[in-house]
Amino acid sequence: MSVDPAQQLERSARLMELLARTALADQAAFEQLYRMTSPHLYGVALRILRESAAAEEVLQESFVNVWHHAGSYVAARSQPLTWLTSIVRNRCLDRLRKHDVDTVSIDDEDHAMTIADRNPLPLDLLLSGAEAGAVRRCVEALDAGQKQAIALAFYQGLSHSELARHLKQPLGTVKSWIRRGLERLKTCLDGAGIAR
Amino acid sequence: MNYRRPERADALAAQYVLGTMSARARARFARLARADPALAAAIRAWEDRLLPLADSVPPVEPPEKIWTGILARIDRTAAGAGSQRRTAWAAVSLWRGLALTGFATAIALALVLLSPPLERPAATLVVVLAGQDAKPALVASAERNGRLLTIKAVAPLSPGADRSLQLWALPAVGNPRPLGLVPASGVVQIALPVDAGTALQNVPALAVSLEPRGGSPTGLPTGPVLYSGPVERLY
Repeated sequence: MSVDPAQQLERSARLMELLARTALADQAAFEQLYRMTSPHLYGVALRILRESAAAEEVLQESFVNVWHHAGSYVAARSQPLTWLTSIVRNRCLDRLRKHDVDTVSIDDEDHAMTIADRNPLPLDLLLSGAEAGAVRRCVEALDAGQKQAIALAFYQGLSHSELARHLKQPLGTVKSWIRRGLERLKTCLDGAGIAR
Repeated sequence: MNYRRPERADALAAQYVLGTMSARARARFARLARADPALAAAIRAWEDRLLPLADSVPPVEPPEKIWTGILARIDRTAAGAGSQRRTAWAAVSLWRGLALTGFATAIALALVLLSPPLERPAATLVVVLAGQDAKPALVASAERNGRLLTIKAVAPLSPGADRSLQLWALPAVGNPRPLGLVPASGVVQIALPVDAGTALQNVPALAVSLEPRGGSPTGLPTGPVLYSGPVERLY
């Protein structure tokens, strides 16, 4: 989704205001915050958890958490949507990882199919998530393997071993794709002054 | 794992945010970050770098039952004894309670007003605080015998992320006295040590200054005065 930067700025300012009012226990502001952000956050949760019941639960827990901790937002100093996304993603990942401890909970083929079925594909998302010039350049500069591995990890929540299985590569290769890919992204993004 | 080396910490923060850590490593890293501001900052920086990539995920409208579930849960915890919010925002909750009973109050008030003889209105103190452009920015009011000062931001203010707005009593003699922090938007109530009539006795005006987050560290205004207004006594 490419969004006009001015519009995005306005939206951010609005979300900040709603968060501030939520911190003062303003329920109407909290509802507006929910209406403005929940479709995006639910979409993110659904992709990672692949199951609507689990995604619903995470979304609900996350917003209950936001209600109680909206006051701590200012200290986090990130964009409001980034902050909200981090809450939802962290809960999704905690949940996902908790279930794959010591078990092969996900049937490999089934899982691979689910991933392939997803539309749009993680890689396309990674590239379209990178609309803004510099971010796009940074993502495009990554090697194919790095791009693929980072996209699957970021959008689908795959762990190192799941990535290795899915991409049919040795674990060490996948780990180094991720590590080097992240390093290159960081150098590129920080150099372009994107990350705050 | 050695978390002390900055480049190692940064690489781990990246893995944490990307989500590739195992359950145990995730839990451990999150625990360490809660106690270590440098790790927390590394996580935040990676969130700022990576999470905007989530913007491209197609939004999905969640079922309405999620919102009703959230409402049910926050109402229950708000009512629960010992809830942190309840103590921290007791004054605000009280105000919300008043707002909710507003309709009942309005009816009661109407009945009082309609029933002769019409008695004198409650003694109230009101202060309209305006900026240099003379536009009202905040309204403060209190019952003369009450201990709560209610502050409402007329329009949302923007002190900046690391700044607070602090309210001061400007006595006819002596230094300004801090009354509390005021909201950038919405309403808060500030508890006064004594009833408002006494607390604001010989105080011709109130003012709001721009201070570091959390309020002036010195007990006296350190930043510019943004708004001020005379104390009107409706009694």
